[in-house]
Amino acid sequence: MFTNLTKLDLKDKKCMSDAGSPKLCMKALPGEGAERSCAYDGARVVLMPITDAAHLVHGPIACAGNSWDNRGARSSGSQLFRRGLTTDIMENDVIYGGETKLKDSILEIAANHDPKAIFVYATCVSSLIGDDVEKICQEAETELTIPVIAVNCPGFLGDKNIGNRIAGEVLYDRVIGTGSGPSEKIPLSINLIGEYNIAGDLWGVLPDLKNLGIKLQTAITGDAKFEDLRSAHRASLNVLICSKSLTNLVRKMEIRYGIPFMEGSFYGIHDTSETLIKIAKALGDPDLLERTLVYVGKKEEETRKVIAGYKALLENKQAVLFTGGVKTWSMVSTLAELGINILAGGTQNSTPEDFQRMKELMDPSAQIIEDTSSAGFLKIIAEKKPDLIVAGGKTKYLAHKTRTPFLDINHGRKLPYAGYEGMITFAETLTRTVLSPVWGHLRRKFPPKEGEQVD
Amino acid sequence: METCTKVTKDWLNTQEYREKNFAREKLVINPAKACQPLGALLCALGIEGSLPFVHGSQGCAAYFRSTLSRHYREPVAAVSDSMTEDSAVFGGQSNLIEGLKNANTLYSPQVISIFTSCMAEVIGDDINAYLGNAKDQEAIPKDLPVALANTPSFKGSHITGYDSMLKGLIDCLAAPRQEDKLNERLYVVPGFDTYTANLREYKRLLKVMDTPYTLLPDQSEVLDAPNLGTYELYPGGTPITEMKDALNAASFLFTQTYSTPTTRKYLASKGVPVEVISMPIGIAGTDKFIESVAKITGKDVPEEITLERGRSIDAMTDAHQYIHGKKFALFGDPDVLIGVVSFLLEMGGEPVHIVCSNSTPLFKKAMESLLGSSPYGQGATLYAGKDLWHLRSLLVTDPVDMLIGDSHGKWAARDADIPLVRIGFPITDRVNLHRYPIVGYSGVINMITMIVNTFLEEKDRTSSDTYFEMMR
Repeated sequence: MFTNLTKLDLKDKKCMSDAGSPKLCMKALPGEGAERSCAYDGARVVLMPITDAAHLVHGPIACAGNSWDNRGARSSGSQLFRRGLTTDIMENDVIYGGETKLKDSILEIAANHDPKAIFVYATCVSSLIGDDVEKICQEAETELTIPVIAVNCPGFLGDKNIGNRIAGEVLYDRVIGTGSGPSEKIPLSINLIGEYNIAGDLWGVLPDLKNLGIKLQTAITGDAKFEDLRSAHRASLNVLICSKSLTNLVRKMEIRYGIPFMEGSFYGIHDTSETLIKIAKALGDPDLLERTLVYVGKKEEETRKVIAGYKALLENKQAVLFTGGVKTWSMVSTLAELGINILAGGTQNSTPEDFQRMKELMDPSAQIIEDTSSAGFLKIIAEKKPDLIVAGGKTKYLAHKTRTPFLDINHGRKLPYAGYEGMITFAETLTRTVLSPVWGHLRRKFPPKEGEQVD
Repeated sequence: METCTKVTKDWLNTQEYREKNFAREKLVINPAKACQPLGALLCALGIEGSLPFVHGSQGCAAYFRSTLSRHYREPVAAVSDSMTEDSAVFGGQSNLIEGLKNANTLYSPQVISIFTSCMAEVIGDDINAYLGNAKDQEAIPKDLPVALANTPSFKGSHITGYDSMLKGLIDCLAAPRQEDKLNERLYVVPGFDTYTANLREYKRLLKVMDTPYTLLPDQSEVLDAPNLGTYELYPGGTPITEMKDALNAASFLFTQTYSTPTTRKYLASKGVPVEVISMPIGIAGTDKFIESVAKITGKDVPEEITLERGRSIDAMTDAHQYIHGKKFALFGDPDVLIGVVSFLLEMGGEPVHIVCSNSTPLFKKAMESLLGSSPYGQGATLYAGKDLWHLRSLLVTDPVDMLIGDSHGKWAARDADIPLVRIGFPITDRVNLHRYPIVGYSGVINMITMIVNTFLEEKDRTSSDTYFEMMR
């Protein structure tokens, strides 16, 4: 099964991700399951939300055919990023090489699709047959007026996290700081790193930032425009939202551009406030800090008032939490806010630090799920009989088969949960999930035994 | 070369761009096909106690599972042996052996269905030899059946992979044919069919016709499992005993042509009688199915079937005016396209654009002959090997009334401002459609319902007060 994180010595600094990569997200063992995606998917997750760029997959149909437009990242402008572009590598390309096909495809996209940049993703096949994606991109770039950026992320490099990191490197090397505009810092401006605007999450946070006078330079990469990303180095602060997978990026930006970074989360009232206050502090503007303290106090009160009705309905429900990344710990406090007890929590793509943080927030009696395979998931459900499972989409239908209410908090969801507004949506959705009448039908025994009443 | 400045939505809608778009050869935009291993996975799910096992990168397996899971809204079981960079250098043998051992220990399958993804194929892994070594090393018991299929995604499509896995499963599980021990059963192979209701419909019709049958494979209980409070890893599928006896079948009847050629050839080489028909969609298609079953079994068609057929014809007469003369664009897999087009022709509907990404020369010929056989097919063109971006150009320059295809067509339909009726795979944005058959006489009624009611709903939502009516 997956590496038993609880047995790691979390105080041992060597175990932590010094180089900025979550080293302890261990590899899956052969044959144990198929829950995890690959480095290619990880790179796509990070870069695909860049809305006005074209994203070309140099691979066989598997890599793009199964996955175009499958993540629910939202754009307020161009929808080009969702176009499923692929070279559809076929047998002849495997034999003779796919470089010409790739070059032609890049030129075709540039000519007819008006991209601000083209990202070209290498895959297992293109790498194994020795196509030099980097070289072709450079060649194409000399013939074009837009950047053509190779993303060397064949799936076999490993887990999603590795792909996230590769994407971070690409942004650092090829995008950020490459614009022709001014490069001085913009006061009170931030980048939100690891915010992909899934279901419109970003838009739940933007009003608060605006009200406080904080400028969002760009999200990396939710609803991002290529030009804004290029100027990401002008931000005064980097706020890392999604755990550790882009730590390498913020560390390097700190060294090259002198941009400090902090971690935060916009899930739940408490974390949203805390993050806003931390941002205000980090931006070093006393006025802003004062404004923020007043603002979050007001927002907290307003939000708590609205969710009080939901809280009354959800209080003391028992949940099992099964998620990844930053949501590992941010969800613990979000659920606690609604009076929900967490019986057990587990995670796949989180770092030991995320994990530690989650443990600290959870009731000491709560269990850490060590076995994150389907079998382990089912065992926990059978043991704990929770009122609710909060997890990513892959376990949704398993949960339903055990007749347990399920809320998808990963990219399969359709509603934004970030910020104060998101908290209200979250409470509302959670209430509808837990209190749906369908669970009653499922639990009712049928046909009734003699003498029993069907209610 | 300058990037084109006139690239606007309006320009993309012009005839000029259509020509440019059709001159596009290398780049694929919005593909309408999935890959071989996805089809293999679907096939492997349809055998009792079968654990699908992807020999290749782990991401592939996660993609297939997620695509199938989104279509059926069901859990989809599969394992992967997670090949990595090391395997690219040294081969995937150690992954396969370790994977088999772990999978068998964790999930106790009755049969493991191994299929490959690209990586293993490019480096040339010999899975047959690896399997032998795995058994020699006692990673798994010698008598545990393991079916094999080579399913590189850079060749063919999901329907090819389905075919290879099916052949692999029969080859692995079935005992040699013995002419004196034939089992009098009709083995029906549905092909790459993502409607659990189609599978149930076949079984119902065969039962009504009093035919001893085996549906092979049969995912109906696996991908439409009842909610009984516990999750079953192996909730159904073609029984292993019937798999073992498959080569002793009285006959095989294939209800799809283009997703099954390898398996048919294999069976014929083993001396098994093989019959193939078009997917029984529409009246004539279903008639053919019923007639074929009756011919093979030598039994009369029961009255129940005649009545059922009569009800479907009645539904056609009730609704013909809503479809007759309407123009349609379609995209999808070859077998489904042949079926749906023949249904439309029966109703007087006029197919105009037919896009098939995974077309074959045989399919092209069959489709052209089908279109040629009807006055309503004269205005149709088959676009073989084209994608949904080509389809978009067709829809905006040469408009039709309705698009028929899977959920991936919703962009093109939106750009052309026409309704999309979802038939095919995957359907990820509507519920329950796989629970309604499109085959058989009841499939005829369901298709009429979907198509006609969509037209009428459009009319009600867009008509002015003057033309808003209680009767339609």
